[in-house]
Amino acid sequence: MVEFRNKQMINIYLILSLMIIASFRFAFSIIDFSLNRLASPILWISFFFAGMFSLSLTYKREIEQGTGEGLLLAPISLSSIYLGKLLANLLVISCLELFTLLIFFVFFPVDIPDLLTLLTLVFFGTIGIVALGNIISAISSNLAQSEVMLPVLLVPLLLFTVVMSVVSATSKVFAGAHLLDVINEIRFILAFDVVFIAAGYLLINYILED
Amino acid sequence: MSKNILVAKDITKSFGRLQVLNGVNLTLNRGDRYILFGSNGVGKTTLVKILATILPADSGELTLFGKKIGKRSKDVKAMIGFMSHEPYLYNELSAFENLNFYANLYSIKNKKERVENLLREVGLYHRSYDRVGSFSRGMKQRLSLARAILHNPDIIFLDEPYAGLDIRAQEILNDLILRLNENGKTFFLITHDIGISFEIANRIGIISKGQIVYEAEGVEKQVFSDKYREIIRREMS
Repeated sequence: MVEFRNKQMINIYLILSLMIIASFRFAFSIIDFSLNRLASPILWISFFFAGMFSLSLTYKREIEQGTGEGLLLAPISLSSIYLGKLLANLLVISCLELFTLLIFFVFFPVDIPDLLTLLTLVFFGTIGIVALGNIISAISSNLAQSEVMLPVLLVPLLLFTVVMSVVSATSKVFAGAHLLDVINEIRFILAFDVVFIAAGYLLINYILED
Repeated sequence: MSKNILVAKDITKSFGRLQVLNGVNLTLNRGDRYILFGSNGVGKTTLVKILATILPADSGELTLFGKKIGKRSKDVKAMIGFMSHEPYLYNELSAFENLNFYANLYSIKNKKERVENLLREVGLYHRSYDRVGSFSRGMKQRLSLARAILHNPDIIFLDEPYAGLDIRAQEILNDLILRLNENGKTFFLITHDIGISFEIANRIGIISKGQIVYEAEGVEKQVFSDKYREIIRREMS
């Protein structure tokens, strides 16, 4: 609820997504290149960077408003704080990604892919980004220059795990693939999702206590 | 049941090379209104956060309600209320939504009734559905006290609760504390200002250089004031 009420964050996310997609559209309008082949990386770059902005505020705002200590006072496990943040971020970022998808289809006249498969990939890919992003956000929120530290720590970890698989699978979907054609990639992404959520659930005690 | 509800023995805490607490010993009895005075930077906030189980101590022993405190003592946390100069409230949510959120964290039964009663008690019922971001400092502090006592804790810690409050708001806060104390709540309050807080104390102490160096009961305000000044002078020298 706090995320949705904070219009400043949502507006910045939406403007950032719009700018990224519009920039790519203008950049590629002068190059003779298949838009279907570009669709996947452009979409995930938008999701990734705009999502990172939202993730950077997850724990930082709790520290700035002092509400983090309010949560530490409550008779709840720190793991449940992690899971609550994970679900809230997943909900907010998924809603914002749907908006980004709409902008994308307005700017890029691509062949409409199998939407069920595309949305499945977006959902599972987002779980991975949010699960790992939450852990790194908790770690970096206590560091100086936390806004810079989040992408520095998060990008390399996500790039070679969830992002590579999800970009490759989304490319196939824009080339005409359906759910069963990318099932191996989905399994791979799901495995990372499970590992990241389990790691966050177990590590959050050490991160927040100290 | 034991009269002592809090016993702290040789509590130490440092941040890096800075030793903030240097062997604090303290006992709180049921029904106490203990005010701990100390100048800025002597470790008051660190001590109250350790006692409220927000921060772990480096060494020493803390016993609350007869239980030794570990890293996450969930059962004891339900018996602790904490009000800081930071209100621990979400500016984007209304007063009702804030209390309702914390009521969920504490698994409070009859949430709506409890939250509405508390909003009445702190004089904010008419602003229940206004966003906290639009509240004055005094209103936030009153709502913060409502948050601290929402789950009916046995002991309530207050960290500089008068900071930024005008005289009227300070008096309202004192009235609330005295009323709750009559109902058996124990209070531990830290402040650097003798002013209005002295009136509600039944036990007082002074912390200096990370240790409680003076404790008294029923002492005259002027006598205590002289002692406090003397300790601060020694600190400075």
